Amino acid sequence: MAYDYIIIGSGPSGGNVAYHLNKAGAKCLLLEAGKFFRKETFPRNEADSAAQLYWGGGIEFDADARMAFLRARVVGGTSIVNQCLLDRFDDTALDSWRQQSGVDFFTTEKMAPYYDKVESKLSLHTFTPDDRNRNAVLFSGACEKLGYKWHYLRKGQNDCAHEQGNDCIACLGGCHRDSKQSSLVGYVQKAEKEGLEIITGVMVEKLDVNSERAHVFGVKDNKPVEYYAKNLVLAGGSFGTTKLLLQSGFKAKLPALGKYFSSHPQWMTFGVFDEPVQSHKGYFQTVASKDPSFRTKGFKLENVFAPPISIGMLFNVFGKKHQDIMRNYTKMSCIEVAIRDENIGEIAVDKKGKLVVKKPLSDLDKKKRDEGLDVVENILKTSGAKDIIRSPYYFGLHLMGGCVIGTDAATSVVNPEFNVHGFKNVFIADSSIYPNAPGINPSLSIMAISQKLSDQLIR
Amino acid sequence: MPNTLSPSAKKALTRIGDILLPKNGEFPSFSETGSIAHIDELTSYAPKGDIGDLSMLLTVLSFLPDFVLNWIVNKMENAQYSDGMLSPIFRQLDFGLRGLIFSCYYSEKMGAAYKGKKPLDVIGFSIKRVE
Repeated sequence: MAYDYIIIGSGPSGGNVAYHLNKAGAKCLLLEAGKFFRKETFPRNEADSAAQLYWGGGIEFDADARMAFLRARVVGGTSIVNQCLLDRFDDTALDSWRQQSGVDFFTTEKMAPYYDKVESKLSLHTFTPDDRNRNAVLFSGACEKLGYKWHYLRKGQNDCAHEQGNDCIACLGGCHRDSKQSSLVGYVQKAEKEGLEIITGVMVEKLDVNSERAHVFGVKDNKPVEYYAKNLVLAGGSFGTTKLLLQSGFKAKLPALGKYFSSHPQWMTFGVFDEPVQSHKGYFQTVASKDPSFRTKGFKLENVFAPPISIGMLFNVFGKKHQDIMRNYTKMSCIEVAIRDENIGEIAVDKKGKLVVKKPLSDLDKKKRDEGLDVVENILKTSGAKDIIRSPYYFGLHLMGGCVIGTDAATSVVNPEFNVHGFKNVFIADSSIYPNAPGINPSLSIMAISQKLSDQLIR
Repeated sequence: MPNTLSPSAKKALTRIGDILLPKNGEFPSFSETGSIAHIDELTSYAPKGDIGDLSMLLTVLSFLPDFVLNWIVNKMENAQYSDGMLSPIFRQLDFGLRGLIFSCYYSEKMGAAYKGKKPLDVIGFSIKRVE
């Protein structure tokens, strides 16, 4: 059967586009490599969540195995496992994008209608003083003493049962209340009710595109599958979309394919206190830095925490030393530094079809990291921590670039109309088109840019 | 072919687990918890090739004496700071082995025979889930 559109990937981009095209009457098929979990069926513990919801059985690495990447493989994509913190991009981010890409709609004014549309469909909550747990109180209090600006985060959530004592750290393994405004809740389940066809467990391996039709080849349940459509929307994110185009031979025509990868590398530092902090209780992430000097320097701080397996993985001491640290799990506060990294990473595929990601840290990246870590240490000391532990490990949770948008086919992959250069029936609006790292959580902007594509396709 | 570790590989993983997580006060040792009984549930979701390679490597390690395993664990511990040619391999091994071992140890699921305090209880981790 030929579809009007096949959408590959069900995260914030694919979910948005599939929902709107389906609603507009287009015959759509949504393909997803992962499983379809519901609020009732999400894994109920950390180990099962890591194993069942992520690519690589939990974690993937760059070629040097220094930087770890977390990427969800599930209906709803990474919006299932993130905190759904929804901030608009500022002038700093969009001006930089416009300069690099030559794409003129990257301004706060021109993007505003798309942000408005997305936000109008979601339930948003800006945290308040009462929402803070002790980790957040320690962070914000120390920032105030030191004169650093901070703010309450805005999260996509509907009803987290905070007043009944629900601990939101569980939602890192999929929200069991359909409160978090993930792509699953915001788009996919709604579209499903309106008749969207969704096939899960499909590993798409190759595309064959001509001007009339696009063929999608993949594997489901160890058997080859093939689908046809007039148009394709690729929404597998930075790794998924880039890998698919590389495997399909697009690199020959698009030399920029795989380039300009960035990931907002993040380092976590812990303060150990005499009294319980209980960073994992309640809303576990409510505040972040908002200091203009940090933005200028290229880093931000977030007040975060994680369940025990993840926290244990962050310390590179083993044996009794490890256990002695973990004994203080409930007495730890935590601050994360995320940097606005240079887009010098590169995504490739080896002969076996495996992703090979090169993501070195530049000298400038290291400078941003070190400046951020120094501020973190200062905040933790000021908040009264008796001991400070820096984790040497770092992670990329925001995977961006590889198919960057631009006006020149020599230096970009996607044009300002979201077409892959030279292919009028292949569209991309996911994070793979990001020209560089914005230094702001990307989820809302992925949806806003995808909204622009949806509006364009419906017209 | 099931995506699981061989019995020899599990033995090696248990020995390494005891180096990483020995008995220490209220903390049970890794082997004591019997939590490795649930390892197949976790590896069944991992990429097949990765588990096959890991199983082969662990099977080889199962024949090595304790001091060699200790040496490997020491290399893993310091791999993040090393630029040696083999350091990427030790870094991957570090995350791969610790990932599996910690996932069992800091889990709700202990071995059937284990009656002691769970590591999650030792660290005071509990969450309330309002469904």
